[in-house]
Amino acid sequence: MDPIFSARGIVKAFAGVQALRGVDFNVLAGEIHALLGQNGAGKSTLVKILNGVHPAGSYTGEITLAGQPVSFASPAAARAAGVGYVPQEIEVLEQLSVAENVFAGHTGLGEGVLIYRHKLEDRTRAILDDLGLTIDPKAIVASLTSAQRHLVMIARALALKPRVLMLDEPTASLSGTEVDALLEVLRRLKRQGVTMIYITHRLPEVLAVCDRATVLRDGRVAAELGREEFEEDRFIFAMSGQRLQKLFPPHEAPVGARPMLAVEHLSVAGKPGAIYGARDVSFSVAAGEIVGLAGLLGSGRSEILHGIFGRVPAEGTVKVDGQAIAIRSPRDARDAGIALLTEDRKRDGLLFNLPVGANITIGNLDPLSARGMVRGDRERSAILEAMRQLNVKASSPQASVAHLSGGNQQKLLFARVLMRAPKVLLLDEPTKGVDAATRQEIYRLVVELANKGVALVVVSSELEEVLGLCDRCLTIADGRIVDTFKRGEGGEDRVLRAVAAAQAETVRAAS
Amino acid sequence: MNSAAPATTEQPTTPSLRNRLISFIAIGEVGVIAALLLLVAFFYFMQPAFLSERNIRAILNVVSFVGIIAIGQTILLVAGEFDLSVGSVAGVSAVIAAQLMTALAWPVPLAILGGMGVGALIGLINGIIVVKFRIPAFIQTLGMLFIGQGLIQLVTGGYPVYPLPKEVSDFGMSTFAFGLGWSFAFFIVAAIVADFVLRRTVLGRNLYATGGNPEVARLVGINTTIYKIGAFITVGALSAVAGMFVMADLQSGTTSIGSGWELIVIAGVVVGGVSLFGGAGTIAGGVVGILMLKVVQSGLVVIGVNSNWQQIAVGVIMVLAVGLDILRRRYFTVGAGAKAAAAKKSDSKTSGA
Repeated sequence: MDPIFSARGIVKAFAGVQALRGVDFNVLAGEIHALLGQNGAGKSTLVKILNGVHPAGSYTGEITLAGQPVSFASPAAARAAGVGYVPQEIEVLEQLSVAENVFAGHTGLGEGVLIYRHKLEDRTRAILDDLGLTIDPKAIVASLTSAQRHLVMIARALALKPRVLMLDEPTASLSGTEVDALLEVLRRLKRQGVTMIYITHRLPEVLAVCDRATVLRDGRVAAELGREEFEEDRFIFAMSGQRLQKLFPPHEAPVGARPMLAVEHLSVAGKPGAIYGARDVSFSVAAGEIVGLAGLLGSGRSEILHGIFGRVPAEGTVKVDGQAIAIRSPRDARDAGIALLTEDRKRDGLLFNLPVGANITIGNLDPLSARGMVRGDRERSAILEAMRQLNVKASSPQASVAHLSGGNQQKLLFARVLMRAPKVLLLDEPTKGVDAATRQEIYRLVVELANKGVALVVVSSELEEVLGLCDRCLTIADGRIVDTFKRGEGGEDRVLRAVAAAQAETVRAAS
Repeated sequence: MNSAAPATTEQPTTPSLRNRLISFIAIGEVGVIAALLLLVAFFYFMQPAFLSERNIRAILNVVSFVGIIAIGQTILLVAGEFDLSVGSVAGVSAVIAAQLMTALAWPVPLAILGGMGVGALIGLINGIIVVKFRIPAFIQTLGMLFIGQGLIQLVTGGYPVYPLPKEVSDFGMSTFAFGLGWSFAFFIVAAIVADFVLRRTVLGRNLYATGGNPEVARLVGINTTIYKIGAFITVGALSAVAGMFVMADLQSGTTSIGSGWELIVIAGVVVGGVSLFGGAGTIAGGVVGILMLKVVQSGLVVIGVNSNWQQIAVGVIMVLAVGLDILRRRYFTVGAGAKAAAAKKSDSKTSGA
């Protein structure tokens, strides 16, 4: 069978560095084709060539669509030729309706200059029906959840009836059930004959919906696998070039260690939009212990961390090393020895107006300064030491953080929070959007910190991560702790059952 | 996710001449300094009297007044806010100081402190309303612009406060060097101090963090409220100082002091590369930007261009300067990766729009 969309011998270099070294990529009509690879493997470069962001002429090699050679001068040209692209980040016009979003900027609707709202809405409803969705086309996008917004973006791409639809990490910010719902939408589209390219870091999703997969490594195709060849080990081997023995480094909770963090009756008001904050949450974490908070997105996991850290107003008591702390602001928490790594690197972590070095030392300048003046030499050596310890790869401390890969950005933020040698470390999705190698480094770091006596709390949407990394797992649902168990006392099924039971109870209480 | 990263993180170990040139051009202020030198050369070529001692002195003295405010405005913009009321504050502070030393017969130093206090107080009010009550700076300081204009009329009854005590007039006419007034000396010292604070101190770094992303700054333990309000107070006090220097220069508490300054100050610092969105810019840039606008205004007069064209020139230069600055950043500071990022941005605009 001839591929509907293919790239042959793609070579692309940036300032002398080879990003792609002769990549062949073939997508067959009607399939869901996974594109995998670590950060820096060339995945995003290939995607940007296929969707016209890197224009024809800036690379060598040829692209054919439905048997015809094509060269895209711009993303608009790629779209017009039938290559649909759904970006990873949600980009919607919040104040407009779903229908207006789906058709915004799409020309050639045959309506002239005027827009007939009801026609837009009818056509949007037809697309949403095809997707099996019940979103109201008239709804204002601001009122939708982020999962629904992602679906609106998919509808938007489908409105142009693309020959190929590229989905760039569509599940990166979705919770477990939302991921399942999205995968169901993809299966439905596939039945309707839509060809899709699925770019992701997550193997379970590839195993669940994809028909074939191309794995990139170091700018080359490391493997092209058919469905019958799908095996997790095989993917990991192709991506990393080595067989990973154990994903999680071993760690045992210390016996009889004193509680380093004690949270008593913590309550946090829910954000507008989120239903639950935290309700009367109590738990403690011993020095050297790793405690995981598992639960769905919006269950209150992050709010618990934010409440402890003073990011949002909270009721209840927080004790560090036995001492009750009045936490009114992140500054109070920091001074008490608590550190927080936020979930959203771009929004709540990095300072894009400052270079790599200053991003590490910001908030930690006191020991590096004398009488209010920053000591350049001390700061520089502290930065270099932190970058070396955490293996942050940047050309220099003056480099811009915008150019670092997701993994390096995350390690930079670790370097920032570790500079104060915290006693309690709160990690919110520490491996989100991070490549497999950095993920390993982060797991090793977490265990190392625990071995040094730091009390760690890890929030993660990936159950595997919570169960593999943490000594104890607290299952959170509706802002409450609904289950607690030690490592080895339960698996993913136990967490999911506890969540389902709590949800059923809430429904009963409401009716 | 950014496969372009290796391209930008890899650098040759020995910088070539080309690289050195590029990193030189990448320094924020080089573009505006080069433009300034070009303009000076042009006006000198058109009319050599442009570089006469008298004209240079006149330009520098005028620059010193708005320059003092530009220093404060740069600090405030770095902290992520801005102030449209600086001209009114300069005027109010000047006429109040003038009234204190004439109508109330306060000793001159005390009256000057009173004027500065008024400026700082208005800055404090602006800061509290913007930061604590979350009223946008645009609205609050625009409101304060009108309030200040009204206060000037209230305090003076619409007539200049005149004559001022002899010390003030003498001070206004005296010079410290090369025929430059004390306002210029203050301007230079304040610029050096502010530059040092922004570049070398913890306070300066925290200001950049606050302007870059207030939530991140708060999360790393910076008290952003204090920093922002402090920056508003600084602008207010510096505006008062500038207003009183003009008062001494004119030897009169004139009601028009500071009128129209707010826009020239913002235009100037923006020309100098200070970002309206916060977290980026330097004192050197802001000061050179103001100087450039004043050079153009003066140069057009000297070469005999109709004064109406001055305004047009200021407008054109501001848009041109900021436009060129954006292009320069895109091509020099950031290189290939940023071009990719810029391309991605433009794509996301089209696909998201």
